[in-house]
Amino acid sequence: MADSIVSEKVVVEEVPSLWAGMLAVMKRDLLIAFRQRTDMVNPLFFFVMVIALFPLGIGPEPSTLQKIGPGVIWIAALLSTLLSVDSLFRQDFDDGSLELALLSPQPLFVLAFGKMLAHWLVTAVPLILVAPVLCVMLFMDGDTIMVTLYSLLLGTPVLSMISAIGAALTVGLRKGGVLIAVIALPLYIPVLIFGTSAVEAASLTLPYAGQLAYLGAFLILTLTFAPFAIGTALRISVTSQ
Amino acid sequence: MNRKRKQRLIIVLGVLAAVGLSTALITFALRENINLFFTPSEIAEGKAPIERRIRVGGLVVPGSVKRGDDLQVTFDLTDNAEQITVRYAGILPDLFREGQGIIANGKLISGTLVEADEVLAKHDENYVPPEVQEALEKAGHPKKVPQ
Amino acid sequence: MFEYLKRLYHKFGSPRYFYDLTGKMLPWLVALSVLLLIPGLIYGLGFAPPEKYQGNSYRVIYIHVPAASIAMAGYVMMAVAGVIVLVWRMKMAEMVAKSVAPIGASFAFICLVTGSIWGKPTWGTWWVWDARLTSMLILLFLYLGVMALNAAIENAQSAARATAVLSIVGAVNLPIIKYSVEWWNTLHQPASIRMTSSAIDPEMLYTLLTCIAGFYCLFGALVILSTRCEILSREQRSSWVKKLVGVS
Repeated sequence: MADSIVSEKVVVEEVPSLWAGMLAVMKRDLLIAFRQRTDMVNPLFFFVMVIALFPLGIGPEPSTLQKIGPGVIWIAALLSTLLSVDSLFRQDFDDGSLELALLSPQPLFVLAFGKMLAHWLVTAVPLILVAPVLCVMLFMDGDTIMVTLYSLLLGTPVLSMISAIGAALTVGLRKGGVLIAVIALPLYIPVLIFGTSAVEAASLTLPYAGQLAYLGAFLILTLTFAPFAIGTALRISVTSQ
Repeated sequence: MNRKRKQRLIIVLGVLAAVGLSTALITFALRENINLFFTPSEIAEGKAPIERRIRVGGLVVPGSVKRGDDLQVTFDLTDNAEQITVRYAGILPDLFREGQGIIANGKLISGTLVEADEVLAKHDENYVPPEVQEALEKAGHPKKVPQ
Repeated sequence: MFEYLKRLYHKFGSPRYFYDLTGKMLPWLVALSVLLLIPGLIYGLGFAPPEKYQGNSYRVIYIHVPAASIAMAGYVMMAVAGVIVLVWRMKMAEMVAKSVAPIGASFAFICLVTGSIWGKPTWGTWWVWDARLTSMLILLFLYLGVMALNAAIENAQSAARATAVLSIVGAVNLPIIKYSVEWWNTLHQPASIRMTSSAIDPEMLYTLLTCIAGFYCLFGALVILSTRCEILSREQRSSWVKKLVGVS
């Protein structure tokens, strides 16, 4: 009997790696999103309707629409991202799982990154898939549409992350919605400028690689530093209650 | 290496890689001529794309302004090394005059002829647009704009 | 020397010491700003030589340029205070950051309004999407965001920490935003306009520097006044404040 006690091994649980932690958070969020499909579809409908409103408000002449097209697509994408981000942390905050997440062995930026990725997959990717149809409605030609897709692909994650910072800062507040917009909109501006410029350049058959390079640089820098800001903001918001 | 240190190392390496990659992208972007600005010398050397919208800047050559009927006007632009011709149908800005630094936006039709759809002059006589300034200096022209 | 500075820095972190010291500093600071501003502005707005191409309408730069400088410096100051709040959890830094926000925003607003006033005779319109004015407008929005966030969170310390994060994010973005707006401006409005001729008259330069110095002193005085109010409000339950105010 003494032998069996001595020979028992003590099992130490392996703490999951950063990558595993991120994947777990992402999978959970994707699962929740798919179970609440309306949340996925609303930003998409908003995107389509906002773009459809412009010809109705401004006039359907191809020349006008071609001129404002890049801006319209980008601003609609921007607003849709803003709209969808309020719910990013709110549910988790309300049911207490955000507080639990603060206690996890993973650093907070892993959580932020995972949630962000899930959110982008669920809200922005449908936008990007639908965008070509809307571009055709705005009389853009094939090459321009491709560049629009590239710019949206590079830019929407940045928009998501910036609005996530706003959401994280305001998650404890009851009426956080418009405040997120006030916080995030000035920070959107560089992405907006270079995104629309890339599409505009493409529509005039001018080179657009420089603009896309800037968007890429923004993407990489935001992916690196925003999760830290989001994590800090989440910690502040949750512990202030 | 214990877990915390490994995590920190990953974070630091990640940040360094990100900063390096974005610097490379930004350097690339800065070198791209995203303003598509060309000097008369560059156009004369054939560096500007034909049938694409470009910006041209230079000084209006005295005596080269010819007005046709119907608001048509042609004039020559120089960077004191080479000269090109600009054709424009429209109202020229108030400050347009000979010796003035201006920028024309339009298409390069052929060789040294630019069909402009926009001609812009500056309000401040001492102000030379930075691109034109650089171009003038490159062509061996001193800083002061001749009056 | 370094030890002395460190001690001074930590002393300033105490609200009571800050209150006492600034109480002594404030009259001097106000006097200095009045001394600099009144002659500076009167000379600049009235007597300095008119500019070669813009005549008298350029005179607003004696207010516009200091306001722009202070608006930007104020935001950086807020961001630095934010770093101190997050890293060292210094209460004084929280209060200073909270005070700077509305004052910096006001200077940004003054810069925009004076820029408009300058624009009307020069460009012919009240507003133009010039790179500088657009950047200043965005800076104003950033300030407003900080002020709104501060107002929305009830707990003073959490509000300070949240706005610290926001100020830092904004400060990091500020150069990027400025660069983007300037670049955007070259695409859409190549005829950007300089404020004065390239060789600035020495008389104008000295007047401008006087005005800038005077406005900075005014800014300092305003921030100190506001911070002192904040100290009294947040420390109202401590004994030294009660004694000061006369409540037993």
